[in-house]
Amino acid sequence: MRITLWTLALALCAASGASAQQRDTVPRPDSARADSVAKAKADSAAAADSAFFAQQLQQGAAADSGRTPTTGATGPTNPRLLPDVSAVGDLVGDLSPRESTQEDGSRFGVREVELALQAAVDPFFRGDVFLGISDLESISIEQAYLTATALPWGLEVRLGRFLMPTGKQNTTHRHDLHTIEYPYVIQRFLGEEGLKGTGIWASKIFAPFAFYQELQLTAVDRFGEPEEGLTVSEPANKKLSGLGYSARFRNYWDLSQSANVEVAATAVTGRREQPIGNPFPPFPTSISGVNARQTVVGADFTYRWRPLQQGLYKSFILQAEVMRQINQRMSGQLVGDPFGGSALAPYEGPDRDFSGAYVFGRYQLTRRLFLGSRYDWLQDPGAGGETLQAGSGYLEFFPSEFSKLMIGYEHLFADGDAQDTDRILLQAAFALGPHRPHPF
Amino acid sequence: MHRRNFLLVLLAAAASLLSPFAGGRALATESPTAALKVLKVVTSTTDLYDIARSVGGNRITATHIGEGYQDPHFIEAKPSFVLQLRNADVWAFVGLDLEIGWMPLLLDGARNPRIRQGGTGYLDVSRAVPLLDIPQGNVDRSQGDVHPLGNPHYWLDPQNGKRIARLFQQKFTQLDPAGAATYAANAKAFEAKLDAAERSWAPALARIKGKPVVAWHTSWRYFAEYTGMNIVGFMEPKPGVPPSPSHLARLIATMRRTGAKVIVMEPFYDRKTANLVASRTGARVLVLPPSVGGMKGLNDYTSLMTYDIQQLANALQ
Repeated sequence: MRITLWTLALALCAASGASAQQRDTVPRPDSARADSVAKAKADSAAAADSAFFAQQLQQGAAADSGRTPTTGATGPTNPRLLPDVSAVGDLVGDLSPRESTQEDGSRFGVREVELALQAAVDPFFRGDVFLGISDLESISIEQAYLTATALPWGLEVRLGRFLMPTGKQNTTHRHDLHTIEYPYVIQRFLGEEGLKGTGIWASKIFAPFAFYQELQLTAVDRFGEPEEGLTVSEPANKKLSGLGYSARFRNYWDLSQSANVEVAATAVTGRREQPIGNPFPPFPTSISGVNARQTVVGADFTYRWRPLQQGLYKSFILQAEVMRQINQRMSGQLVGDPFGGSALAPYEGPDRDFSGAYVFGRYQLTRRLFLGSRYDWLQDPGAGGETLQAGSGYLEFFPSEFSKLMIGYEHLFADGDAQDTDRILLQAAFALGPHRPHPF
Repeated sequence: MHRRNFLLVLLAAAASLLSPFAGGRALATESPTAALKVLKVVTSTTDLYDIARSVGGNRITATHIGEGYQDPHFIEAKPSFVLQLRNADVWAFVGLDLEIGWMPLLLDGARNPRIRQGGTGYLDVSRAVPLLDIPQGNVDRSQGDVHPLGNPHYWLDPQNGKRIARLFQQKFTQLDPAGAATYAANAKAFEAKLDAAERSWAPALARIKGKPVVAWHTSWRYFAEYTGMNIVGFMEPKPGVPPSPSHLARLIATMRRTGAKVIVMEPFYDRKTANLVASRTGARVLVLPPSVGGMKGLNDYTSLMTYDIQQLANALQ
């Protein structure tokens, strides 16, 4: 582990140095004064760009062709400067034969309505707000972040709440998944709705070796959601070392015009509440948990194929992620008693590490119909490390880019003497308004 | 020890992020004109690419995102395109929401303020051309993949090709005043070449004028305006919606009634459906490339227009 971390550190420094050695092919200006004059000219020209050019060219065109151009709207298309407003409806049905496997036991439900407001704030920032509305959680801020758009050195910085860049699928909105639900390793290690964080995200693109590389770093308020029902003596993020930190290093190659590969490595760490037992000698206490470090490291691989000319009708994607959850080993915890003394409470959090992975593939059958399959394998932390395996198949139909219908079948292989479980899930998702495209 | 190692890795990563030389480009506030000897131009389509390089000559380097045989609505926003855009001085795109499915991702990923909206290099080419098919009244997606600002396939009218060339001339001159004479001469040469080609098209245009045809998508509207071909129906019942059996039945009836004998379609649509309609009507399926590079050997704008006009004229004989 130590060697791996040092190797990663050295690789990062090497990438930085290698690109520093890359010659800038742009000649530098001879004179700072010439720079500022030319800049002023460029800025003022840019300010009058669209209206001026449109007027000039249309006048020129009329003179040339002898016919009066029938132009469209030449004024702004959004004179009230309103943000883009969009909504996504995510409806789920559960026809599992034994019983509904949904958290609320429903057979049909509105899993979530996502309301998005997106716009440029000013020349320096863009704002994105995503509100999640559901029967279970009422209304919540799914994401709300400010993105700096004018930073030098190819940097991007976000401030706010966002889906953490932890693995590949975690940054995909749940309604946009090709498998109705997140893979089990993401649900168990990162959260049923993925991992979000509130803090700062910084990323930089490199290309010292002529292919795309990106480093994404975050520092967030905490790692994951607080454990319900656990009371700790101090917040997990009381010290800065208790915040959530993540790093993802992404590498992308075009194998051909039609095929490409992405390989990435991820790590996220933070302190999380873990349970402790009753102290001995016993006394009434409100303290039921202790903060312990948890780290998830992983790697992901994505292969895409889409022939350019038949791209409307043919495509294939193969994706896999593997993760390992590393838990701090804790001993019994001293808990203060009402008489000024203390008693030892046994640590009841995880005392081992867990691994999990999935492999997913999807093939396009026709312009609007896709066939997908996923295999999940997991040492389930919620079940003492028992192995969870599941195989699932999906048929996905897009009546248009803005609506999706999906049916999925999943078979959960039970460990030991427990019974296997079959699940049949349905999904209908639709988008209203100009929802911005999701990351590639 | 575990925590220290992780923090050391994070520190190294942060140093990489903040290194001013790590893959960076000239600062956003640098003057684009004084700093550059060669303008880096990236275009969304091959048609804009060809016109740009015709006007720019050796004073620009030009690349394009989409290919001529690819549907420009559905280009994947691959990270490798970001590498082209992050150092670009000009991003020229068709506009009218043709690129809305992928352009925002690429511009965000490129982190290049010069080519973002409001930047000196952000060039929406649609502002320079007169538009067709601007919807009237209420517009919503029940009308299909409608473009509320107008039909974006305007480059298929050679008159608009000239307008695009003038736009590039003015933009390149704005960013590189020292090249003004070169850009003007190149734009004039481009227009002269197109004018000469237009004269050679006269017999073919005469054969096309007024003839009924069916088109797959509304992409051929500007071409129809220029050539005079009469589009009596579309294979798509609504833009972006694949043909249904009932729509095809109605279209076949329309073709029989109007005498339409040619179905014009792009190479990236499903030929089987067009062949079916052709077999029921005695029509011919004519696959025409809608963009430069859409077929082997059609490597410039004039060749593309010449080919499409000649092929259509031959099919309508």
